[in-house]
Order: sequence, then C-alpha cells, then structure tokens
Amino acid sequence: MIHWRASAAVIVLVAGLAAQPVYAQTYLPREAGSTANTADKPPPDTPIPKFYQESYRAYLKMKAAAHGGIQYTRASYGQMPDWSGVWSRDPAEGVKFDAKQSGNVFAPDGPVTADLTPRYRAAFEEKLRQVKAGNEWDQLSDCLPAGYPRWLVEPFLREFIVTPSESWLLTEQQSEARRIYTDGRGHIPDDAAQPLWDGDSIGFWDGQTLVIHTIRLTHGEYQRLQPDYSYQTSTLERLRMVDPNTIEDDVTVWDPKGLRTPWHVVVHYKRGTTPGSRIDMWSCDSNNNVVRTPSGGSQQLLRGETVTIQRAYKDPDTFYLTEAQKKLFEADAAEASK
Amino acid sequence: MRNPGVKKWLLTLFLAAMAGSALAHHSAAMFDFSKTVTVQGTVKEFQYTNPHSWLQVLVVGADGKTVEWGFETEGPSTLLRSGIKAKTFKPGDKVTIVASPMRDGRPAGAWISATKADGTIYNLRPGPKPAAAAKS
Repeated sequence: MIHWRASAAVIVLVAGLAAQPVYAQTYLPREAGSTANTADKPPPDTPIPKFYQESYRAYLKMKAAAHGGIQYTRASYGQMPDWSGVWSRDPAEGVKFDAKQSGNVFAPDGPVTADLTPRYRAAFEEKLRQVKAGNEWDQLSDCLPAGYPRWLVEPFLREFIVTPSESWLLTEQQSEARRIYTDGRGHIPDDAAQPLWDGDSIGFWDGQTLVIHTIRLTHGEYQRLQPDYSYQTSTLERLRMVDPNTIEDDVTVWDPKGLRTPWHVVVHYKRGTTPGSRIDMWSCDSNNNVVRTPSGGSQQLLRGETVTIQRAYKDPDTFYLTEAQKKLFEADAAEASK
Repeated sequence: MRNPGVKKWLLTLFLAAMAGSALAHHSAAMFDFSKTVTVQGTVKEFQYTNPHSWLQVLVVGADGKTVEWGFETEGPSTLLRSGIKAKTFKPGDKVTIVASPMRDGRPAGAWISATKADGTIYNLRPGPKPAAAAKS
C-alpha cells in the first residue's frame, strides 16, 4: 500500500511540473578570454548626450595617446597590476572632496576649490548658512548610498578588484560598488539610460593605470559641507598604484550646470595594515536612529525615546534632498525641458 | 575636565579623528565639539555595528538615580583599526568616558575616549593606550 501511494505522489509531482510554462532563455555568447559578467556590450561608438562630450573627448584623446590601451585577457591576467589588499582614504586628506582645501571637515576655513557657476555657488552658500543654523541633512541618514563622485572621499574600507574585462571598485559603506567595463564597450545607449548612483563607467588600461570615463550620474553633493553637482556631471579618472602602500586617483570633474571650469582633484588610498581587517556586509539600518527634524536638521533618537513622524509618500527622486537641493535640481530640470 | 591642556589635547585628537573617519553617516551638528563631558559608569551594552557603534553606560547621578548614557562612535571596521573589538567592553565593565555632549543636554555624546578600570584608554586614534603608557 505504501509503495502504491509513493508512486501516485511521484506521478502527481511529475504532472505538476510538466504543467509549468517553459520560458525560453537566450544566452549571449561570451568572447574568448573575457572576464565580463555582462556580455551585452553597447558598441564603442554609442552616442551620448552633448553635455558629456567635453570629458569624453578628453577620454578618447587619452585612449589614442595610449594606442587604444592594453586589452588584458584571461591569458594575460598575471600582467595586470596587483591591487589586492584592503584600503582606505588617506586620513590626512580628511573627507573633503579636494584635500587641498584648508581646515578640517567640520570647519573648512578655506574656500572650496571648485569654480562654481553662480547658481551652484549661491546654493552652496545657502547650504553653509543652513548648516551653521543647525540644519544639515545627509542622504546617508536615509540609508541611501553616497553615490559617485562622493564615493571617492568616503572614509571607510575599500577593495580594488581588477579583472581583464571589468574591475570592481568597492567601498565598505553600504557595500557600494562601482563597475568599470574595460572590454571595449561604449556607454549605455540613451534609450536604456537612466541616472545611476554610481554612474555608467567604461575604461581602458594605459599600462598599469586604469583610465575611467563616468557619466549618467544622479545629482547630489560632493560631500557634506561641499557643493552640489548636477545630473550632467561626468568624470575622467586615472587610477594607479604610486607605491606599494598607496593608490592614487587623479580625477577631473565636468559639470556644465555646476562648474564653470573642470574641477581637478587627487585622492589617495592607503593600504590597511590592521590584522584581521576585512570588509563585511555593511547594513545601514542595523543601527540607524537618526531622524530629520521639521527644520531640516538631523537628530539622534536615544534608547527609550519616541518621536512622532508625519510620514508622507516618498517621491523616489526627491525625498532625500534638502529644500535647497530640490530648488537647485528643479531648476536644472526646467532648463532641460526648454 | 579640570586640566585645560588635556582638554585641548583631547579635542585636537578628536577633531583629527573626525577629519579622517568619524560621524560620516549623519550630520554632526547635534554634538557640541567645543565642550567635553566626563562620566563614570558601568557598561550596559556595546552595540558594535554599522553605521555607528554605541556604548551604552549606566551612570549613577548625584541624586542617586541611574541614567543610561549613550556614546556614539564608528562602525566595527574603523574601531578594529583602533584596537577596539566587539568584546572590548562587556556588560558590567567600569568605564570612564570623555565625550562631546549633545547640544540639547540629553544623556549622550560623541565618544572621544573610554578608559577601563585597568587604565587602558581607547580612542579612535591612535588606538588603545596601555595602562602603563597612559600613566606616563
């Protein structure tokens, strides 16, 4: 009897599985020697919006000077630079976007080195006034990522994972990863593009230097107490090891909305030497008790405290911004729609 | 904090640490970095986690009442680099904490240093200072 029941169960199970719809899967062929995880490559000449053209021309000029760069493969993996290890931004540079700005991060006593447009200069000055009045909000307190280019100057641990076709630049904070495609692909085509926290990055290897062009960024701020940047921002980076314990990123930022001239900064990352130091999953909401005050400031809830928060629908594009940022970026959008 | 030299040294140390790593997840405007507060108490809990770790300390006030204080510091990886591990502070440990207090007077602050009963001092930088060195 038991044997009969087991057979019946198997028949029912098989019949049930057979009734499930079968979805066709198409797998793109992988190129020989590739280490890319995404094989669907936009062509190298994929058009991009005109406000990225100046930085893109600089990128292409650099690529031509490098004779197209080196296309590493699985076979030549061992010739790539060894950036293994755990790294963090040089503490001496603070978390200012440009280390040359004087003063510590809480009281920069020198002018910001960016050549801001009048509108972004006014917004920056208003931000500093609000901070001085105690009204400062950081999107990190909403458990959102820092986003790039702020990614460059966050203080926590990092890893630089290098492979022939794509490299991963990781920060511990919210496990935020940048992916740099070096398999000759172009940027994401316009009809598939959208603003991304860390943008769309392509690159090439100039010997042992990773050259990166990044576009399609969300708007945001370079860091707390630093200016804002617009969705038209693009960057050109040269990332290389300058000594066994230092990786340097030479960065130039273009932003037709926010900058009158490109902003050039150099960021250094130092090798971690603490025994046992490693990167683990970084969950922002594990211990996040910071709430936004009605005046736009930040307040910490202590154990035993409760606060009534009037929670409204969160517009995905704007809920984390300050009022000043909303005005600034709305004006950018209005200009774009003209 | 009676010794103004020590106070200035601690403040300088703290600002240096802040410039490199501390309080990167939220505005620091809630803390008054021009002041320090020193409290003695017993560890209730060490929340060793992201985005910030908190050392919860039970402090008996002059009126005999016990108040729970909270001291904010960095997440595990930054603390580890300063020699502060998950079990460095256990419930029941006696500690003396120096912190930048909250501006609104609530019982909390941004951790500058924590000294255990054996005299070992724990800072974000330059890391733990052994009791013998701390006395020198």
